[in-house]
Amino acid sequence: MSVPPGSFLWLAKHDLSLSWRGFEGLFGGATRRKIIVIVCAAILGVHALAWPVAQWFADIENGIGGETALTAFFASGLAFVLPWIVAQSMTATTRALFTRGDLEMILTSPVSPRSALAAKVVAVAFDSTASVAVLVLPLANANALAGRTHWLALYPALLSCGLFGAGIGLALAMALFSLAGPRRARLVSQIAATIVGGGFVLSIQAFSAMSASTRTWLLALLQGSELPAFSFARSAMLLPVRAALGQIDAMIAWGLIGMATLAVAALAFGETFARAFVISAGSADASVHDKRRRAFRSGLGPAFRIKELRLIWRDPWLLSQIMRQVVYTLPVSVILLRNGGVTSTPGIAFAPTIVVVGAQLAGALAWIALSGEDAPELLATAPVTRAQINARKIEAIGLPIALLMSAPLLALAYASAWSGLCALLFTSAAIVSAALINLWRQSPSHRAKVLRRHSQSKLVGLIEHLASIFWAVGAGIACLGSWTALIPVALAGAVLWFARPRQPRLTSLATA
Amino acid sequence: MTRNVVHFRTAKGAALLQNPIPAALSLRNVCKTFTQPAVADMCLEVAAGEFYALLGPNGAGKTTTLRMVAGLLRPDSGEIDVFGIDVLRRPIDAKRIVAWLPDEPMLYDKLDPLEYLEFVAGLWGVASRRAQDLSQELLETLGLWPHRHQRCESFSRGMKQKVALAGALVHEPKLLMLDEPLTGLDAATARQVKDLLAERVRKGATVILTTHILEVAERLADRIGIIQHGRLIAQGTLDELRIAGNAENASLEDLFLALTSKRERAA
Repeated sequence: MSVPPGSFLWLAKHDLSLSWRGFEGLFGGATRRKIIVIVCAAILGVHALAWPVAQWFADIENGIGGETALTAFFASGLAFVLPWIVAQSMTATTRALFTRGDLEMILTSPVSPRSALAAKVVAVAFDSTASVAVLVLPLANANALAGRTHWLALYPALLSCGLFGAGIGLALAMALFSLAGPRRARLVSQIAATIVGGGFVLSIQAFSAMSASTRTWLLALLQGSELPAFSFARSAMLLPVRAALGQIDAMIAWGLIGMATLAVAALAFGETFARAFVISAGSADASVHDKRRRAFRSGLGPAFRIKELRLIWRDPWLLSQIMRQVVYTLPVSVILLRNGGVTSTPGIAFAPTIVVVGAQLAGALAWIALSGEDAPELLATAPVTRAQINARKIEAIGLPIALLMSAPLLALAYASAWSGLCALLFTSAAIVSAALINLWRQSPSHRAKVLRRHSQSKLVGLIEHLASIFWAVGAGIACLGSWTALIPVALAGAVLWFARPRQPRLTSLATA
Repeated sequence: MTRNVVHFRTAKGAALLQNPIPAALSLRNVCKTFTQPAVADMCLEVAAGEFYALLGPNGAGKTTTLRMVAGLLRPDSGEIDVFGIDVLRRPIDAKRIVAWLPDEPMLYDKLDPLEYLEFVAGLWGVASRRAQDLSQELLETLGLWPHRHQRCESFSRGMKQKVALAGALVHEPKLLMLDEPLTGLDAATARQVKDLLAERVRKGATVILTTHILEVAERLADRIGIIQHGRLIAQGTLDELRIAGNAENASLEDLFLALTSKRERAA
């Protein structure tokens, strides 16, 4: 079917094909046939994993109070999925505003900005829905194969979630652009997207942090309130859940709401987006900052420290990625402080989490500093050795990692000194491991690709994850005071031994 | 080997050769092969305080030659000295006195010009007070002082090129190598860059640049070298090149085309 050039469908097709190209890019230089084979194998694998989970759901569904339990599961799932899609849409809209790309060309053509924006948002909805669908739809298929065909309602329910979330995300991003202005919109929007995306996790953590009496009062308020506003809100919130459960009226209503939200957002914000796009073009000039000029600092260490911190701090997108990891750790500290005095339990619960977060943070920052270097030739022509550069870079990222990890570590130490000590030792080891792996296995790329860094070398990704898991397991066992903690430590050591540089790396840069 | 090279000595060069000061740059039989030979048996000597322009068709080996001097590529064979320092054996000492400016500026978008210069000065170990004074002087000369608090991401290509040039000069290199420094610059910016380079040479620095803008070589360079297929096929002053080309009143463009096409036919 041919669609008229410049129409919404034509633009949507263009954007979706770009999304597909982006997806293909994750497989390096693999051919399309190879990609299809890998994707099919992955789909089969996920379905195989989904089968026992589907059986587990069947037991719940067929048990006493099955429908209520299933409703609760779907409601929880929705609370994860919808904020995620909204956050993705906010991020994509903000990036489209500031990174220019093909929109610059499209908006200079005689194409309606509304159509261009609607097409972009549809692509965003598709991308973010697809990332969720990969996990959710195999479950629906497995249940349908087992005869519970009403699970197939997850398909339209999820699609509507995508349309609704993308529309809301677009509206929020544009509202933030208007409120914060082009100078601060990027940072504000990225932080807001992080908080929205992690909203459910944060709410759960905050809920856990409340006192028992407060929790009881809040639950009673939510469940028992006869106020019309509450009952309307409850009913509205349950609409997508009922749609996912296969109730026809809810499916139709939720589908219409999804489409209407996206259409209204695209129509309402099309012109605003085009104007914002023009305004944001000059907003880089707005990055005038601290005009008080302090004296230059001399020395290699300060030079790298200041440079690396400035580059991370001034990149809202990078910052949001790092924030996302940090935000999840902060409530842990709150809970631990509230439960201070508990013996070894918090250690087993939280020490491994802290270790993994530390390793992830160190892996991301080490990759940004070492592989995401913007001016490698400048460094290669400087009168310093590669070893000096690497040492200074790792030193530069050490400070923010230490600062960020100190809060949960101190909180854990407050709850249990032994657990705190174990977590400190194992987190330090995990951080050093992640930094070493990124030092030994550098893969030069643009720093913006930090979250996709492992697509270049899946082996490095695997090594990094394995090492952090072993350190985390070791931390948990060590908190119990068992000598068997040495086993994961040995395994982590073996992983590092495997990752070590075996021969001098051949590089085009003939540095000293 | 210099067997097939039209080789001339300038008055300035002759005077410098009598002086015991080592050449600013000396390449002896340097070879570099990628899939094909990029630089073949290159011999080149540039005297200290000279403004030397390296010309050649696309893919002739100009950038590869200079990248080897900058320490970005290792030659397959041959020797490279910078002010008597062996680049291959003592790279750090050589890099201390060399600056390299590629055709694409190497900048950090999120830093402002002053912050960039502070970082470069830190890399080269320039004392902070001196670096600060030099940075201000350079940014003022290049007309960037009013933009010193703006991040480089908002700059035009010409402004970025000027920031990168300031970075190359902030550590006061004795040898400055520039790859196509004027490409894409407007007339006013190009004039600023040319004036700054000429001033550096007057102050005793050595400048080597590659360019496709022959007028620049014609007006600024003490000597001109022409590279083709990785070999130096001719070098000297413009007058000496005219003599070599048997064309007394020819422009550099005519000479360049005549010399390179003659070699092309011979090949």
